[in-house]
Amino acid sequence: MMKRRLRTYLPFVNAGIQEVATYRVNWIFFMLGNALACFVSYFIWAAVYGSGGGGAINGFTLPQMIVYIVLMFLTGTIIASDGAYVVGEEIRDGTIAMRLIKPVSYNATFLFQELGNKLPTEIAIAAPMIITVEIIRTVLSGSLQFNALSLLLYILSCVLAYLINFYFNICFGFIAFVIKYLWGANMMKNVVIGFLSGTVIPLSFLPGVMEKVFLLLPFASLNYTPVMIYMGKYGGAELWYYLALQVFWALFFFALSKLLWKVSVKRLTVQGG
Amino acid sequence: MIYVDKLRKEFKKTVKDPGLKGSIKSLFRPKSEKIIAVRDISFDVAEGEILGFIGPNGAGKSTVIKMLTGILTPTSGSCTINGKNPTQNRKAYVKEIGVVFGQRTQLWWDLPLRETYGVLKEIYEVPDDRYKKRMAFLNEVLELDDFISSPVRTLSLGQRMRADIAASLLHSPKVLFLDEPTIGLDVVVKDNIRKAIEHINEQEKTTVILTTHDLADIEQLSKRIVMIDKGSKVFDGTIAELKSKYGQIRELYFESDCKNPEQTLAYDKRFSLGGDDLSVETEGNSVKVRFNSSIVPVSDMLSYTLGKINISDISVKDADIEEIIRRLYGQGVE
Repeated sequence: MMKRRLRTYLPFVNAGIQEVATYRVNWIFFMLGNALACFVSYFIWAAVYGSGGGGAINGFTLPQMIVYIVLMFLTGTIIASDGAYVVGEEIRDGTIAMRLIKPVSYNATFLFQELGNKLPTEIAIAAPMIITVEIIRTVLSGSLQFNALSLLLYILSCVLAYLINFYFNICFGFIAFVIKYLWGANMMKNVVIGFLSGTVIPLSFLPGVMEKVFLLLPFASLNYTPVMIYMGKYGGAELWYYLALQVFWALFFFALSKLLWKVSVKRLTVQGG
Repeated sequence: MIYVDKLRKEFKKTVKDPGLKGSIKSLFRPKSEKIIAVRDISFDVAEGEILGFIGPNGAGKSTVIKMLTGILTPTSGSCTINGKNPTQNRKAYVKEIGVVFGQRTQLWWDLPLRETYGVLKEIYEVPDDRYKKRMAFLNEVLELDDFISSPVRTLSLGQRMRADIAASLLHSPKVLFLDEPTIGLDVVVKDNIRKAIEHINEQEKTTVILTTHDLADIEQLSKRIVMIDKGSKVFDGTIAELKSKYGQIRELYFESDCKNPEQTLAYDKRFSLGGDDLSVETEGNSVKVRFNSSIVPVSDMLSYTLGKINISDISVKDADIEEIIRRLYGQGVE
């Protein structure tokens, strides 16, 4: 049964990879843009630490902050999901009809197609970025900091984070069934998530209560948890707690996406012809 | 095979007063009105039948097709196809049907055409040997070989349509839905596509439901038509029935050296014909007269014309179906 299902959806991965290959140049620009944002972030924090006398801020030293920025960039790329945009567009222009006439699960085709889209990126950037991070850490601290277990847990955490992000985005995309066009809502979502997921500033910089609340929200499970795990900031029970929280949110959004799909597909109007 | 019973679809549509003022107003107090796209339509289709589904733009043809293919959920009424309800178990149902929407494609836009068929093979679980045979057959009927390695976005419309039809037939569906399969195609390609559909229908007893604006599609392919207008069914029967019921229009052609045949003959005064029952076109020496033969018998028309002026060549024809439908679309059906 599982094997049969895999055979049905694996071609979507394959097709996804080939799609990316068609638009190589677009992909390169996209990666350059991300790297640029990473540098901007670095210079801002360098200035902040420079004026603060060089000590640790909220448990982060400058070298740790640099590692944090690079890891945030890497994690953000690994777990990125276009779901909300793609689903929204398909609903807006009616292409969704073409998926409905095939005997496949709507969400699953997206998931596998996107995995195919992302695989080349993942392979191309993950290894070099991890090596870069380790070089920075070694040079700045004077000793090798690499921990294979942390890396494994980080990968596991990233997989969970991607699933959360994917199903969250699918759910968000279904809003298009009601409001038809998602561009504005998407922009707002990205800004809010950038803040809530710790991409803009580490969540530990926030006042106590705020930090505690944000850590419970699904968005901390996106970028923040994997990065903190890799940096070794979580240990023992804390580590398992955050991984369990990720599993919970992944299941939550998976179930929610199924439910929303059931309810909203009945409202479908297929715009345009 | 297909039973459609009192199928109905209502949409809510937000209405906006014209202009900027209207836009602002609708921003704060959106008004919506109910639109009935399909009004309690019923019909049956037998196995192996080709049913032509026609009607003016906006009549609700596509909405019906979308309900039959499980994309839209009917507001009320039911349809049963192959003993299945399209919206209740979508995945099991769509396995047995093929769908082509002429204005959209189900092909993978950025990939070579061949890859789409590869993906479809897995989706529909077609075994390797059956897949090979099927591709050979489709290739023979639809001539895909020339462009099967090209990315879909580089195909011409005619090629894309052939490829789309092949994609809908890969899994040998029992029912094939074609929503405007010849839209925007040239005469030769249209003809090839019609032949392919005909061939597949004969070979495999595939039931076909087809919507189109090109009545030649209907004349060549289907014996039976269902016509809808403003969401309601207005005609259901064979083309011959349509012709005998509404097609009292005959066309009289003749050539004459008469200077001004229209005035000399003055059909409108002689037979007191008017409006839709009579039209005269003159071009050089040849004259075309369309008239309603239920008011003026063909024999009267002929003897009057022959007696009045000098005629070198004359013929009478049945009106073509297009003419009948033009009249039906124009005035609605009583």
